Amino acid sequence: MEKAFNLKVNAAGFAQLTFDLPNEKVNKFSEAVVLELKTIVADLKNRSDIKILCIVSSKENIFIAGADIAELDKITTAQEAAEKAAAGQDLFNQIENLPFPTVAVINGACLGGGLELALACTYRLVTDNEKTSLGCPEVNLGIVPGWGGTQRLPRLVGLLNALPLILSGKPVKAAKALRIRLADAIAAKEFVKEKTDAFLEDCLTESGRKKIFKARQMMPLRQRILESNPAGRAIIFFKARQDLIKKTKGHYPAPLKALELIKKTAGRSFKRGLKREARTFAELSPTAISKNLIQLYYTSEEIKKDPGTTAEVSPREIESSGVVGAGVMGGGIAWLFSYRDIAVRLKDVNWEAIGKGFAAASGIYQQLKKRCKIKTARINLKMHHLSGTLDYGGFQNLDIVVEAVVENIEVKKELFGQIEARVGAETIICSNTSSLSINEMAAGLKHPERFVGLHFFNPVNRMPLVEVIPGKKTSPQAIATVVALAKKLKKTPILVQDCPGFLVNRILMPYMAEAINLLQQGAGLARIDKLIMEFGLPLGPFLLADEVGLDICFHVMRVLAKSYAPRMKTSRLLEALYIEDKLLGKKAKKGFYLHSAKKNRPNPLIAARVKAYQQKNSIKPIVFSDQEIIERAIFIMVNEASRCLEEKIVAKPAYLDMALITGCGFPPFRGGLLRYADQVGISKIVNTLNNLADKHEAGFRPAKLLTDMAKARKTFY
Amino acid sequence: MKERIAILDGIRTPFIKADGVFKFLDADDLGAIVVKEILARTGLPAKKIDEVIFGNVAQPVHAANVSRVIALKAGLPFSVIAHTVNRNCASGMQSITAAANQILSGESQIIIAGGTESMSNIPLVFGSEMKDFFFALFKARSLKDRLGVLCSFRLRYLKPIIGVEKGLTDPICGMIMGLTAEVLSREFHITREEQDEFALLSHQRAVAAIKEGRLAEEIIPVPVPPDYKNVQAQDDGPRENQSREALQKLKPYFDRKTGTVTVGNSCPLSDGAAAMILTSESQAKALGLQPLGYLKAYAYAGLEGARMGLGPYFAINLLLKKTGLTMKDFELIEINEAFAAQIIANERAFNGQLDRRLFNVNGGAIALGHPVGTSGTRLVITLLKEMARRKKQLGLATLCVGGGQGAALVLETK
Repeated sequence: MEKAFNLKVNAAGFAQLTFDLPNEKVNKFSEAVVLELKTIVADLKNRSDIKILCIVSSKENIFIAGADIAELDKITTAQEAAEKAAAGQDLFNQIENLPFPTVAVINGACLGGGLELALACTYRLVTDNEKTSLGCPEVNLGIVPGWGGTQRLPRLVGLLNALPLILSGKPVKAAKALRIRLADAIAAKEFVKEKTDAFLEDCLTESGRKKIFKARQMMPLRQRILESNPAGRAIIFFKARQDLIKKTKGHYPAPLKALELIKKTAGRSFKRGLKREARTFAELSPTAISKNLIQLYYTSEEIKKDPGTTAEVSPREIESSGVVGAGVMGGGIAWLFSYRDIAVRLKDVNWEAIGKGFAAASGIYQQLKKRCKIKTARINLKMHHLSGTLDYGGFQNLDIVVEAVVENIEVKKELFGQIEARVGAETIICSNTSSLSINEMAAGLKHPERFVGLHFFNPVNRMPLVEVIPGKKTSPQAIATVVALAKKLKKTPILVQDCPGFLVNRILMPYMAEAINLLQQGAGLARIDKLIMEFGLPLGPFLLADEVGLDICFHVMRVLAKSYAPRMKTSRLLEALYIEDKLLGKKAKKGFYLHSAKKNRPNPLIAARVKAYQQKNSIKPIVFSDQEIIERAIFIMVNEASRCLEEKIVAKPAYLDMALITGCGFPPFRGGLLRYADQVGISKIVNTLNNLADKHEAGFRPAKLLTDMAKARKTFY
Repeated sequence: MKERIAILDGIRTPFIKADGVFKFLDADDLGAIVVKEILARTGLPAKKIDEVIFGNVAQPVHAANVSRVIALKAGLPFSVIAHTVNRNCASGMQSITAAANQILSGESQIIIAGGTESMSNIPLVFGSEMKDFFFALFKARSLKDRLGVLCSFRLRYLKPIIGVEKGLTDPICGMIMGLTAEVLSREFHITREEQDEFALLSHQRAVAAIKEGRLAEEIIPVPVPPDYKNVQAQDDGPRENQSREALQKLKPYFDRKTGTVTVGNSCPLSDGAAAMILTSESQAKALGLQPLGYLKAYAYAGLEGARMGLGPYFAINLLLKKTGLTMKDFELIEINEAFAAQIIANERAFNGQLDRRLFNVNGGAIALGHPVGTSGTRLVITLLKEMARRKKQLGLATLCVGGGQGAALVLETK
């Protein structure tokens, strides 16, 4: 096998070890690489001619991206994991103990095992490359740093800087790395060679070394006070735990275990700390959650590379856009385009409506400003991408037009006629519809090949998913262009075939309907929500219904009930609440809950209605177990998802799972709906569904795909 | 001029009284809005524009060469060159004639010209003593030196120079613009009553033009920052309830003792921008576009600053000599209403040949406002659009210019 490392030593004793993994775009630590490095380090120990060694990468914008994820995925026992951890720890200890100083020269991404290597070096030099980032993303894959990171990092930069890095997985850029002394010096990216040479010279002088170590001792006063005494440290750990529980709701063990690990080992024996770190890594690596998160990582990488079509077409660059309908979605889409520097021509029926679109976009920018993600001057430039028109003025030169008007097929069809009259034949036209048929809308167009469904999720600035729905006549070029555009907008595009509800809404509706069913049969409103949120969804079904709006829920339910009868039905209760009681949800402060600034409480009207319903239909309220509630709500989603796969609505289970995660917050730690189904067991699901179908509703009858899979002992993944 | 310059179309923002609803829009923001809109209206792709020239007087400190900032904020490519012109109140016309010259000399083919002004954002300026104090403070290194500088501070250092006031004062004759109107009121014997009467007419005409939708045809509504709760579609100067009684109540503003010029019979300080796309007549034909009108000839004239209000009289006479036209030939006129006294002075200087029935038929600056860098462009847009409505062929747009100049343009529709 070709070598990954190349060692050069010059006459003055300056050594450079270059990491260049053959046939790969990034450097990563596979077992083979670790072995090769081990041999090199063993050799280096005996070199008396080396005064100082710098470790560099020849990959563009990458130092070392981390350990080989495929190998991580293969670990199934704690024993394997412990061995892997020990091997890396040992190697990095050897590097730390070399008889000469070492310098990691970081010009690009330095993550996970890469950072742990850099930490084992004596010094770290970063470049101001935009892509330079240093971090510990292990918790994102359900594990913790296992090669000394949890021991070296806190000792180097202090608890207050190390904890966010390790617990959140978020990396820091070069300037911050320098500030917290994770890096000792910074070089201009274009002059890294000159700066490295000068830095190496400096590190060999007494004064140079003194300066570096003095800088590392300088801690801001607050940090010094907190970290130097046990009470302060206790506060730090307590607060960190609180924040973690709030964010993860206890579903993700990795960051909690990392915190526990650091708490127990900070400031104590380094050797024992390493042992404990290896144990923690070994506990977490074989877990299902870790494997789930790794699978999601693979899927998201696959989606990033997926152009949306197999045809050899190159997507067109989108520089200017039109958005028709400046409502909540239109305003959000206008914000999204303007944020990525695409000009937006906003069209509506009067200037007041256009003004609302501007206000919506501006509101999102103000939110970003509050979170320090953007400065006022930049907001001014981005808002200037927006302009308004009442009569499609300025539409003639646009690359793409997205309509986001009211969900009425006649209105939309008329609109498309107007739009087509004003745009070029090549302009892509998209609909943000959530419930109407793309093919039906395309039928009225002169050039249906440039028409694509592009379904954003609410709120547009926070939901990563975009369903891309091609019509029968949509050209591959249009699909590729829209998929590329979605990626430019930093969204997750997933191709979905045209069917009512597309993918996410189609799967969510029966779940909502079932939740209402359970409510009507005696389960408590707040209890159902609580159980679903404990399962991992960010909002329970009733909170979600209020958030989305009972009017929209009812409307979508009606559309789906028509198309998927008899298994999907409209809910009489929902109909009554929306039409007779005029409950709208959060936007009117009254829905399934009464919404107030402080807390939500279940709307007492609901209980009254449920009771009336039970009396009218002579239903005795049933006492459900927690498991029953979860199974009924979630298994029905699995059932509908299976039908979606049967009908080839989406290409593969991994994409379906990613759509639900990015479109409605299905918990990533479960790996996705279908991954969860595999883990529960397909046979179990089929049996449960059949029981429910026999006892209650035909709608539970399992899809053919599921029964076939159960018979053949197949799984989704 | 060897060929006429085609004005493809023009657009402006509403004109808003200074320190009002447009105060969060800088001059470059206003300019970017009209440039974006005029591009959209004419359907020309941005890369076809060769150059952007805007008139602007105040020269905002945060946007040096405001035309360039406008061009880039409006989304034009980096390759489009831009520069800013200043001929005081005629800057909005200077941009048009400068563009004409670029086109006629063959330097550029298609140019966006216009004017912009945010008088709301003209800063208060520290005097030189305060400036020296700050710089001394920055330079001082040791604690002793810093204390020494701090002790040298005097309260009078804080007295600001009011930028807009200084900007409207002619440094040669030492008069603020309103005082030059007083000079003309004496020279031409224009009474307070006559001035108020004209001011009222300006408001009445403007209000009618708004009600009948004529001004809306030249205005692009502006969603108003910072929170975009409102969209401003109308000029906010014209008052429906303007009356002689209300005007009479006002005291003379510039000469408290014996003056006749009030804030009511003067134009207000305003914010606004306007833009148009210019090209040669032959190029317009080649592009297959029907222009709004054509620039046929122009003239600038100079006179003493104290009588600057007579600028139109001087410039028009020069123009008539140049072109062989007479006042009777002009079917419609737009003349900037800096002050009612200045308008009436020109009427009298022309000895009846400047017909009040033919000029400013949709109201003038006294009602609409005078963002100083912009008005020149607005006059041409308003004139051409009204000429189209009335099916008139020959028109005149003219301005008096602070500092002692006049500007006059001959416009044609066919």
